[in-house]
Amino acid sequence: MIRVQNCRLTYRTPCGHVHTALDHVDLHVDEAEFVCVLGPSGCGKTSLLNLVAGFLKPSAGVVLFDNMSVAGPGPDRGVVFQDPTLFPWLTVRQNVEFGLRNAGCAPDRLAPRATAALAAVGMRAHIHKHPHALSGGMRQRVALARVLVLEPSALLMDEPFSALDANTRERLQDELLRIWDEHRRTVLYVTHSVEEAAYLADRVLIMGPPPESIKDEVALSLPRPRDRASDEFRAAVQLLRGKLDRLPCCVVET
Amino acid sequence: MKSHSLITRVLVPVALAVAVWYALALVVEAVRGVDFPTPLDTARRLAALLAGDPLGDHSVYRHIGDSLLRWVTGFVIAAVAGIAVGLATGWSETVRGMVAPLLHGLQLIPGLAWIPVALLLFGLGETATIFMIAMASFTPVAISVMDGVNRVDTQYVRAARMLGAGRRALFLCVLLPGALPALITGLRIGLGHGWRVVVAAEMIVGAGTGLGYSIIEARWTLDYPSAFACVAAICVIGLVVERVVFARLEQRTLARWSLARDSS
Repeated sequence: MIRVQNCRLTYRTPCGHVHTALDHVDLHVDEAEFVCVLGPSGCGKTSLLNLVAGFLKPSAGVVLFDNMSVAGPGPDRGVVFQDPTLFPWLTVRQNVEFGLRNAGCAPDRLAPRATAALAAVGMRAHIHKHPHALSGGMRQRVALARVLVLEPSALLMDEPFSALDANTRERLQDELLRIWDEHRRTVLYVTHSVEEAAYLADRVLIMGPPPESIKDEVALSLPRPRDRASDEFRAAVQLLRGKLDRLPCCVVET
Repeated sequence: MKSHSLITRVLVPVALAVAVWYALALVVEAVRGVDFPTPLDTARRLAALLAGDPLGDHSVYRHIGDSLLRWVTGFVIAAVAGIAVGLATGWSETVRGMVAPLLHGLQLIPGLAWIPVALLLFGLGETATIFMIAMASFTPVAISVMDGVNRVDTQYVRAARMLGAGRRALFLCVLLPGALPALITGLRIGLGHGWRVVVAAEMIVGAGTGLGYSIIEARWTLDYPSAFACVAAICVIGLVVERVVFARLEQRTLARWSLARDSS
């Protein structure tokens, strides 16, 4: 489904140095698989996601999606950003309709489809509000609805819940898993939180700074729904934290 | 709370201005021995003018109306051209590379410096006045819109492209609304520049009517209270349009638009 082969991403800093954000990245995400990329802040996780999304082009190597080289962003790979980036001048429903319009949806189907997508994330009551009237958690629900309504074959998520309070974050994680379970979409989910990776992922890729960006890989076979208080879950968290702690990079945030 | 802010924001500044003006009038009369119209003289004259006293060959309403008409005409021309140029330069990097230096150069030319150009292009009269107003209003509008389009958050552009937006949708549904606050700010600044130039242009380009023309005429006839009354009228009209009408519009858009990236 998603395949990144021997990718490198470099850019030139304003003072003329060449900075390597990613190097030797090889990864694949299978159809309907939920993969978390776990790593400390600043190790290039978001850059990796931007490559798969098509916002950035690799300096070397290839990014394949459905066996096609990624040429640019598109609605087949729905991105949920860390910041919801809803369009402030549109209402909640218009934000969700935006992608549908681009996809050539019939005008009389716009409102029903957008409303249904918003109902699926619990935002049925807020469709006429503007984003500024919503809380952070509600905005992120809308951001999720606006990509889900386009029925993407993959979801790319960039620390989508990291700015939310703990309770909202856990509830949104549960909802995400419920939605994922219903439609079995492929998910590539970037996070710096060990608990989040252990709770969500089928497989966790441990990421660190170049020259070898992907450091390790852990398959999690815990059955879902996972119990955050269980010994097995604690053990998985410990395992991931141990691997993260061995990285030479910055501070590990949990 | 509200009445308190009205007092501090309107009454105190007005009282302060009147007090300084009075003091100045007294000092000038004492030192130079000339009649310097006091706020009271000016208010009386203004009231008389508003009651129908002619100013030059026309009523004060005719002068005000003509000045406003020139202002609006010049401003509308400038706004349409400025928005078009601003959108084009903000949207296309190639166009921006070529046109932005010109705009920044134009910005450095004071409105009145266009007088010789206006006279050579159009001769004395109405068209020259409107040309000068349009030139003064055009650059702030164009530059604001250009910067506004250019500064629309790249994350919005990324989100739109990820949601399948083509160039048309990106422009109409993201860049244009994203630049709206800057556009309104540009219009407000352009309007202010235009108003300043109306008055000056009327003084020099020979319009025959208008508040600026009346100030010069009143000076020739040594009717200083009338000149002062015209200055007061100019000030009040400019303030009302810029502060009351435009600032409110600006605040309303900003309140909604700036929401954006705060909560995280």
